Amino acid sequence: MKRLFKSIVIAAAMSALALTVVGCGKKEEKAAEPAANATAAAPAPKTIVFASDATYPPMQYTNDQKEIVGFEVDVIKAAAEKAGFKAEFKNVAWDGIFAGLATGKYDAISSSVSITEERKATMDFSDPIMPIEQILVVAKDSKATDLAGLKGKSIGAQIGTTSYLVVKDVKGFKAIKTYDEVGLAMEDLVKGSIQGVVADSPVAVEYTTKKYSDKIKIAGVLKSDKVENIGIAVKKDNKEVLDLINKGLAAIKADGTFDKIKEQHQMK
Amino acid sequence: MTESRKIDVGEGAAIPNKNDWGLFNAWMISIVGAIVAIIYLLVVHPNPYMRLLTYLGDGIVITFEVTVTSIICACAIGLITGLGRVSKNKAINLVASTYVEIIRGIPLLVQLFYIYYALGRFLNVHDLTAAIIAMSVCYGAYMGEVFRAGITAIDKGQSEAARSLGFNGKQTMFLVMLPQAWRTILPPVGNEFIALLKDTSLVSILAVSDLLRRGREFSSETFLYFETYTMVALVYLVITLLLSKGVSIMEARLSHYVRR
Repeated sequence: MKRLFKSIVIAAAMSALALTVVGCGKKEEKAAEPAANATAAAPAPKTIVFASDATYPPMQYTNDQKEIVGFEVDVIKAAAEKAGFKAEFKNVAWDGIFAGLATGKYDAISSSVSITEERKATMDFSDPIMPIEQILVVAKDSKATDLAGLKGKSIGAQIGTTSYLVVKDVKGFKAIKTYDEVGLAMEDLVKGSIQGVVADSPVAVEYTTKKYSDKIKIAGVLKSDKVENIGIAVKKDNKEVLDLINKGLAAIKADGTFDKIKEQHQMK
Repeated sequence: MTESRKIDVGEGAAIPNKNDWGLFNAWMISIVGAIVAIIYLLVVHPNPYMRLLTYLGDGIVITFEVTVTSIICACAIGLITGLGRVSKNKAINLVASTYVEIIRGIPLLVQLFYIYYALGRFLNVHDLTAAIIAMSVCYGAYMGEVFRAGITAIDKGQSEAARSLGFNGKQTMFLVMLPQAWRTILPPVGNEFIALLKDTSLVSILAVSDLLRRGREFSSETFLYFETYTMVALVYLVITLLLSKGVSIMEARLSHYVRR
């Protein structure tokens, strides 16, 4: 009898604990936001830490010296020089990169982030760096020129990208696969596991002209009625960092440095 | 026959005690807690949790598929490997031992990458097939060790008695040794099943649309990381607990004639 009573008490305590944990989780989430805002109000940082998913040539990738390099990295470095802040890059996996920004693990994301309305709801964006397009990449011998040409086939894109959003709601594919890195999607396309990859224009050009130029090709541009721009994402209401970045970007665009970097990287 | 021999493998999820049918044990509290939490979330916050659970639906099916198929294949591979490991034939023994040695020395994550991306250049296997092959080959090696331990744990007198009664080697193994070993190895094999189920979350790196991958897709789109991973964790917990209960029931069935 005593044992039964004891177990009832324990069970009740456990379930109460379980419920409070679930409840707390919700509250903590809300409580975290104002606290984070308080840190953002601290004096302007001299060093801005940028998170980059360095698996995205030619925009940002790691070279053989294990340094994060690429077009966007050069743009940020040039902007930093003009606006007087120090840019530091941190290699962060794409999936979860936005969660890290929200929790304050870094100040900004420089990872070819497309500016979308959905993202604007949870973070702020710098002025656009440049427009990009969504490109369909297929095997060299494929006849498809658009998504409709791949009906009944498998298609891939990187997880959580605008490229994935383009194909997500299109019906008629055998499978839509999401990859952690765009390179793995291209690898699967080369292997023949999937028949198409949708990717940002700079990346699509890079893979079809350099890495796998003999195996895959650009099938076509996926036309959209909206212009897609990439920009730097910062935590919501982090005005100090945003202003510094915008100041730098405006300066390099005004004096021609931006175009020079574009030329260096052979970007259109 | 006296108390059956136990081989003690202390890691992995706990298999509930087969004799404990009381209301208040760790298993009962965990499963009721998990199910209550899921229902609570679905009822109190149908948006986004209902949407989330619907989105995860086919991922749960894929996770289930990979787990069941891999368990069946891994058991077969494990049995063959275990028999090879106790074989008196030097060549067979060496092949089985080397297989176990190599596979156990390579992380499962690397094996998955290897089979899908490295070997993929030569033989193009479907992502789901690659996932199942990698899981089966890996867990086959681990289970082979469990089978070997189970067979060697049987008293030597058993095989000697069988042989002196005129059983040949095969009959001794399949009619005398294995039926006894099966009972001893069920708990550690059950542990491997549960570990395998949990490790199927690794196949999401092959872009297999399993439970974890579906969760990642959902969270990367909606930015609802807390909500998504809470639900993913709870669903995994429920599946794991059900599986461990299943193993426990099987264990109780198999040991019904053990005197205590």
